[in-house]
Amino acid sequence: MTAIWRRELQAYFHTAVGYVAMGVFLALSSVFFFLEILQQRSSDLLTFISLMSYLWMLLCPILTMRLLAEERQKHTDQLLLTSPVSLVSLVVGKYLAAVTVLAATVLLTGVYYLVVAVYGAVYPGELLTGLTGFFLQGCAFAAVDLLVSGMSRSAVSAAVAALGVNFALWMMDLLADTVPVWLGSVLSFLSLYSRNEPFLMGQFSFASVLYDLSVAVLALACAVYVLDRRRRA
Amino acid sequence: MIELRHVTKRYGAKEALRDVSLTAPDGCVLGLLGVNGAGKTTALNLMTGYFPPDGGQVLVDGRDMQEDPRGCKRAIGYLPEVPPLYDEMTVREFLAFVARLREVKARGIPAHIRDIAGLCGLEEVFHRPLGKLSKGFRQRVGFASALCGDPPTLIFDEPTVGLDPRQVVEIRELIRTLGKTHSVIFSSHMLSEVQQLCSQVVILHRGRVVKQAALGELSGGGELLLRLEAAGPAARLVPALKGLPCVRRLRVTQGSRPDLTGCVLTCDAAPDPARGDAQTQIFRLLCALDMPLRLLAPEGDSLEEVFLRLTRGEEEGETP
Repeated sequence: MTAIWRRELQAYFHTAVGYVAMGVFLALSSVFFFLEILQQRSSDLLTFISLMSYLWMLLCPILTMRLLAEERQKHTDQLLLTSPVSLVSLVVGKYLAAVTVLAATVLLTGVYYLVVAVYGAVYPGELLTGLTGFFLQGCAFAAVDLLVSGMSRSAVSAAVAALGVNFALWMMDLLADTVPVWLGSVLSFLSLYSRNEPFLMGQFSFASVLYDLSVAVLALACAVYVLDRRRRA
Repeated sequence: MIELRHVTKRYGAKEALRDVSLTAPDGCVLGLLGVNGAGKTTALNLMTGYFPPDGGQVLVDGRDMQEDPRGCKRAIGYLPEVPPLYDEMTVREFLAFVARLREVKARGIPAHIRDIAGLCGLEEVFHRPLGKLSKGFRQRVGFASALCGDPPTLIFDEPTVGLDPRQVVEIRELIRTLGKTHSVIFSSHMLSEVQQLCSQVVILHRGRVVKQAALGELSGGGELLLRLEAAGPAARLVPALKGLPCVRRLRVTQGSRPDLTGCVLTCDAAPDPARGDAQTQIFRLLCALDMPLRLLAPEGDSLEEVFLRLTRGEEEGETP
């Protein structure tokens, strides 16, 4: 698993993928920072984090698109699947590489909080809670998009499909208010965005942590299943 | 030793392998022969655990690939038809990655990949990105990756396809070298390649094994066909040749020049422990007769004849 994790991490920064993903995220988040914090003369970092969380929809497909789809497209999966490495290690190794880049991206947003700390007030407990939810939400998106990559034939189709799935997850949240109450509650219960709300109010929610981790584990298990089914087909 | 036992593999409705049983013994170079679509690549992919069979068993040193995939895969190095390489990595990075995948201890990796790179002739491109290498070097990197972790068995799928003639010669030489220290299984549809490199041959046709035998046995049932031309009268040469214990049959033919006597000899393929092989015995006889030898070469291609006969479907029901 370590070998896979290390290779994928190298691949992010040997190619433009890692730089593009982090660059796009930081560029867009700096626009949010300017509009929400600097222009408003506000130190409300939780609102800023809630805006940034929509960027996972864009960043995660870029990070995960080639992880499994490209192995299949370029037949490099032959090397991995004929090595003494289990499918679980293969999928988890790749996932952890994507999560490492997510974590690095979250760390880089620290610059924003430092700026706010210099000119205003930052509440560390509230900020850490918000960032935990933000990071866990990114981990859940990355796992879902990795599953999409495992089901796709090429990196490009994986990216497009993952964007579609992420958009659908977001829409699910919006639709919750327009459908019958019972359906709305189901959609809200399943929504990755609704589940993040306690964190964005500064409350640490074990239920939300468990939910994000469950989504990630379920998506990874499905990715392992998809790869195994394809081997047997 | 790798063994396929009654293995079946289907791709949808198409049956790629049907009740295939074959054995690749330790210490031999085994050639898997067959026309395109015969099931060679499928058989190799099953041996390496790339995918599981729909029926039957794949055994590596007696262990079932389904029950102990990690143990089985540790014992096998595989080079598919297109080497699976990551173009953005350098040769060094790639081999280090494969060594880690194959559970080589971290401290030993630099020396291990240096040794492998030396064996495969990769020193000059060791720090170059894989995406910038020629096809021949990419193939060599594929060989090197198969060697990572020192697996006792190496499997190559059509290792010389698409290479230029010089690269083909180099790769064959590399396989010959590796065959001295490893068990090697490789697929090919080139009979000459199999004849040059293999000690055992398996012929696959339409997803079934139609023949498994030692190369000598397959090439004419222990017989060797030789064309000979020597300077001197036939009346003196022919009786002397017939007297050799290794000569089974003899047919006199026209020499390429009027002063030469020609003949086609059917000899024992297996060498006599005391007198040597057929060519040695004939050469000594001609020296004794003081008849200068002008030509002594294998005649025809009996493996080709066997292959064509088997893959025309005449012996489709035959099993090894």
